[in-house]
Amino acid sequence: MSTADVNVAHPLETEGTIHRLKKPAVRADRQGDMPDAQRVDIAMKNFVKDFGRTSAIYMESCIHCGMCAQACHFYAATEDPRLTPIWKLEPFKQAYKREAGPFALFYKIFGFKKPVTVPELEEWQELLYDTCTMCGRCTMACPMGIDIASLVSQARHAMFHAGLVPHELHAVAVRAETEGSPLGATPKVFKDRVEWLADDNDVEIPMDKAKAKVICAMSSIEIMKYPESIVATARILNHLKLDWTFRSDGYEATNFGLLSGNLQWQKDMSMKLINAAIATGAELLILPECGHAYGAMRWQGANLYGKELPFKVRHISEFLGENVKNGKLKLKPMGKSVTFHDPCQVSRRGGATQAPRDVLSGLGVQLREMSSEGGMNWCCGGGGGVVTIHRADATRYKSFQIKMKQVEDTGAEMLVSSCSNCRLTFDDSQAHFHWDKKLHSLLELVADNLIEA
Amino acid sequence: MDLLNFARGPALQWSLAILVFGLAWRLTGILLLKAKPDFSEPRASGGFGGAMKMIMSRMWPKPEFVRGSVLDLALGYVFHIGLFLIVFFFLPHILFIKSLTGLSWPNLPNGIIFFIGAVSVAALFALLLQRIMTPVKRLLSNFDDYFSWFITTAAIITGLLAAAHVGARYETLLAIHILTVEALFIWLPFGKLMHTFTVFLSRGATGAAFARKGAAI
Amino acid sequence: MSGSLRTVGEALAERGVSRRAFLKFCSALASTMALPPGVAPAMAEALAKAQRQSVIWLSFQECTGCTESITRSHSPTIENMIFDLISLDYHHTLQAASGTAAEEAREHAMKAHDGKYLLIVDGSIPSKETAYYSTIAGISNYDMLMEAAKGAMAIVAVGSCAAFGGIPMANPNPTGARSVADLVKDKPVINVPGCPPIPVVMTGVLAHVLTFGKLPELDHLGRPKVFFGETIHDRCYRRPFYEQGKFAKTFDDEGARSGWCLYELGCKGPITYNACATTKWNQGTSFPIESGHGCLGCSEPGFWDKGSFYKPLSAGELGKASTIAAAAAIGVAVGAGAAMMSRSRQAKTTGGK
Repeated sequence: MSTADVNVAHPLETEGTIHRLKKPAVRADRQGDMPDAQRVDIAMKNFVKDFGRTSAIYMESCIHCGMCAQACHFYAATEDPRLTPIWKLEPFKQAYKREAGPFALFYKIFGFKKPVTVPELEEWQELLYDTCTMCGRCTMACPMGIDIASLVSQARHAMFHAGLVPHELHAVAVRAETEGSPLGATPKVFKDRVEWLADDNDVEIPMDKAKAKVICAMSSIEIMKYPESIVATARILNHLKLDWTFRSDGYEATNFGLLSGNLQWQKDMSMKLINAAIATGAELLILPECGHAYGAMRWQGANLYGKELPFKVRHISEFLGENVKNGKLKLKPMGKSVTFHDPCQVSRRGGATQAPRDVLSGLGVQLREMSSEGGMNWCCGGGGGVVTIHRADATRYKSFQIKMKQVEDTGAEMLVSSCSNCRLTFDDSQAHFHWDKKLHSLLELVADNLIEA
Repeated sequence: MDLLNFARGPALQWSLAILVFGLAWRLTGILLLKAKPDFSEPRASGGFGGAMKMIMSRMWPKPEFVRGSVLDLALGYVFHIGLFLIVFFFLPHILFIKSLTGLSWPNLPNGIIFFIGAVSVAALFALLLQRIMTPVKRLLSNFDDYFSWFITTAAIITGLLAAAHVGARYETLLAIHILTVEALFIWLPFGKLMHTFTVFLSRGATGAAFARKGAAI
Repeated sequence: MSGSLRTVGEALAERGVSRRAFLKFCSALASTMALPPGVAPAMAEALAKAQRQSVIWLSFQECTGCTESITRSHSPTIENMIFDLISLDYHHTLQAASGTAAEEAREHAMKAHDGKYLLIVDGSIPSKETAYYSTIAGISNYDMLMEAAKGAMAIVAVGSCAAFGGIPMANPNPTGARSVADLVKDKPVINVPGCPPIPVVMTGVLAHVLTFGKLPELDHLGRPKVFFGETIHDRCYRRPFYEQGKFAKTFDDEGARSGWCLYELGCKGPITYNACATTKWNQGTSFPIESGHGCLGCSEPGFWDKGSFYKPLSAGELGKASTIAAAAAIGVAVGAGAAMMSRSRQAKTTGGK
C-alpha cells in the first residue's frame, strides 16, 4: 500500500486536541472475509503459539474472587461487571483448558469447556481493546498474583489474526507497518520536521549519522503533535555533549504491532529500531516520552531479537534522572507545587518509578504525590490503543474523572508526566471537561529549565 | 464391609492415590510447558527473592484495595484460618497426619475446635451469599466455584455433625465425614481447590518477573 | 441336670432361696435392663411359675472365655439361681457327663423338647465347604448347628465368635469360620457379642427371654439394644478429657497416670457398642479403659481386622506407601505427556516465530 492509498483507506484527524484516525463513517471491526470456523481456528492457533509456562500458571490460578475489578479504572467508572479484568480472558481460559492445559484431552472429550465461537470473540473485542489499556493495575490487586495485563496482550494476538481488531486500532497498525508510523510521521515527514525544527529553534539536531554512541527514538505523537519534544531532546543531549543521532531508518518508538496484537508486526517495528541502533554502533538507545514504547523495547525487544541487545535501553525520564543525580544536568529551581502522573508502562510495569522523581527533585519543585502514587497510580485511560478508538471515548471520559479528582485532591499547581500518549489523553479530556489543569512534559520542563553553563 | 471400614480402608487409599496422581499430573502438565527465556537486561537480580516477596505480600491487599475487599478479607481469612486450625489442631486429625508423616504437635480442646468449625461454616455461607449476590462474582462464577464450596463446606459440616452425634449413629456420621473429606481429596487437583498449590506458582512467577524489572511487587 | 422340669419356684424353694432374695434378684435384673421397677414383682411371679427352660449350649471354635465369663459374676447365689431357672441339658465345660453320654443327653433333650429348647452357641462355625476343620464326636460343627437349630425356639449367639465370626474369622480365616447368623436364616438369632461378653449382659439377656418368652429389642446387628445401644465413648468416665483435648501419649506417661483419654493410644470406644463403661466387669470393679488400656472394640464385627489396637481411630488404614509412590509416578508421566502434546501442537503452529 502506498502512502496515498493509506491516507485514503485510513484518513487521520490531525487538528484539534487529539491526533488519531478520523472517526469512521462505517466501522470495520471485522477484518477479512474468512468464514467463522476459520476465524476461530486462526484465533486459537495464534493464541496457543505464544503460550508459555507462565501464562499457563496464570490460566490455572484464577479463583474467581473478582478483586481485580476494583483496581480497574474502567470498572470503577462504570461498575459494569463485564469489565472485571479477568473476565476479559474468559474465552481464552476456555481455549487454554481445551487446547493446552494438562487436562485438555478430557475437557475436549467430555465437553467440559465449549469451543470458542466467533460471536463470543466479537463480544470480547470491546473487553480486550476498548476497555483495556494493559495498565496492569489489576495485576497489583490479584491475590493470586496473576499478571492479567500480560494475558490481555496475548489474547490480542488471537484477536488480530482472527480479524477482530477495532477499526481504528487496526487501521493505525496497518499504517505503522506500511509506512513506518501510525500517524503519518513517515521517514520523509520525520526528516523534514527535524530539519525545520532545527532551523526554527536554532538547535543542532543530528540526523542519520553513520556512527554515534547514542541513538534516540521518537514517538509519532511527539513528531506530529508535540514537536517541542524533539527540540528539548536535542538541547539536552547537545548540552551533555553526547555523540548522538536520530536515524530515519529507525526512529518510531510506538509499537502498534504490540498494541493491535500482531506479533510479527511488533517484531518488524522493534527490529527497525534495533537494526538502526546496531548499524550506528550505539551503546545506548533512548526511548522518548511514551509508555508502551518502553515496555516494547526495554522488556520485550531483546526477546523478539532472540538474544541480548548489544546496547542499553533507557526511557528518557531514566536518562534525565541519572544525569540529574550525577550532577551533569543542572536545573533552575521551579519553586512550584507539582504532582506527577506515572505512565503505567514506565512506572508500574516498567520499574522506572524513581527516575522522574529524581528529575523533579532536581527541578526544585514541591512534589505532592497523588493518592495511589507511583506504581499504584491510576491509568489515564488512553493507553494501549484505547485513545484511538472513537466508540471508546465515552467510557474513557468517565474513567478520566478518577484522574481529575486525584489531581485536584493534591492541590498542586502543576501537573507533570512523561508519556506523550498520556499527554494526548489528558489534553483531549481536558478539552472535553473544560478542565483547567494542563499536563506538562517532564522532558520539556528539563529543557526549559536547563542551566546551560 | 461396613461403611466406616470402607471409609477408613480402601476409600482412604484410593482417594489419597488419586489426590497424589492428580496433583502430579496437573503440576507436571503445567510446569513442563515451554518456558520462555528473557534476554532483556534485568534491572535487578534476585528473581527468587521477588518470588518469595510476592508470595508473602499478596496475603494482604495493597492499602488502596483494602476498603473494597473488606468482606472478602474478613470472611475469607476467618474461613481459611478456621479450616487450618480445625485440620491441624484437632487431635484425631493430628493423629491422621502423624500416621502419614510421623509428625505431631500439641492439640486444641475439642470445644474450641467445634466453635471454630461453626464459625467457619457461617463464614462459608456468608461467602456463598456474597458470591451469588455481587454482580462481579456472580458473572465470574461457574460449576467449579459452587462445587468446590459445597465439598469444603460439607467436610466441615459432616465433621460438626459427627462431633455432635447428630443425625445418625456415630460410626455412620464418622464414615460420612471421612468419605466427604476423601471426596474433597479426589476433587482437589481437578478444580479450583488446586489454588492451594498454584498460589505459590502464580505469585512466584509474577514476583520473580517483576523483581527482575524492578517493578512494584 | 436334665430330666423332669420342676418349676423355677420349686427349684428355688428346694435350695432355700427366700422369696425376698428372689425378688431382689428380679429387681436387680430389671433395673440392669432398664425396665420399670413395677416389672420386678411380675417378673418374679412369672419366673416362679415358669417351667425350667431346656437350654442346649453348643461350643464350637471357641476359647471357652464366654463360659468363663458367664460363671464369673455377682454372688454365687444369683449365679446358681440362673442355673435353677434353666435346665442346662448340654454344656461341654459345665456338664458332668462326657463322651457318648454327653452326646446322648443332647440328643435326648433335642427330641424331648423339640421346638421349645433355647439354643446357645459360642465359638464360630466352619462353613459347609470347610466343615472338616472342627468336629465333635465325629459330627462337624456345621451339621450339629444346623440340626440343633431346627428344633430351637430361638438361638443366642454368645461371644463375638458366634455373633460375628470373631478371631477365627480374622484374616486369612483359614477354617472358613462363619457366625451363627451367617448360617442359620430361619430362626430368630440374638447376638450377644463381646470377647468375652460381660457376665451380667449374658444373664440379663437370658432372663429376658425366659421371663417374657420373646426376644429383647435388637439393633441392626441383632444385639440387644438395652446393653448394646450406646457406645463406650458416650458413657466413658474419661469423656471430659476427650472433650478438653487431654490425651495420654504413651502408656504410663503423665497423661496416662492422670487418667486422660486413651484415643491416641488406639481406643476404639467411639465406634464400639457395649455396656462396659456403665456395667463394667468383675461386679463393677473396672473395665479396660479404667485400667489404662484403650477399648479393643471386641463387641464389633471384624474388630480383629481393623488395624492395630494401638493405632488411633482417625489414623485409618493407609495401605502400602508404594501405592502412593506409584500414583505420583503415573501422574507425572500423564502430566508430562499432556505437556508434550501441548508443546508439539505449539511447535506445529509456531514453525519459528
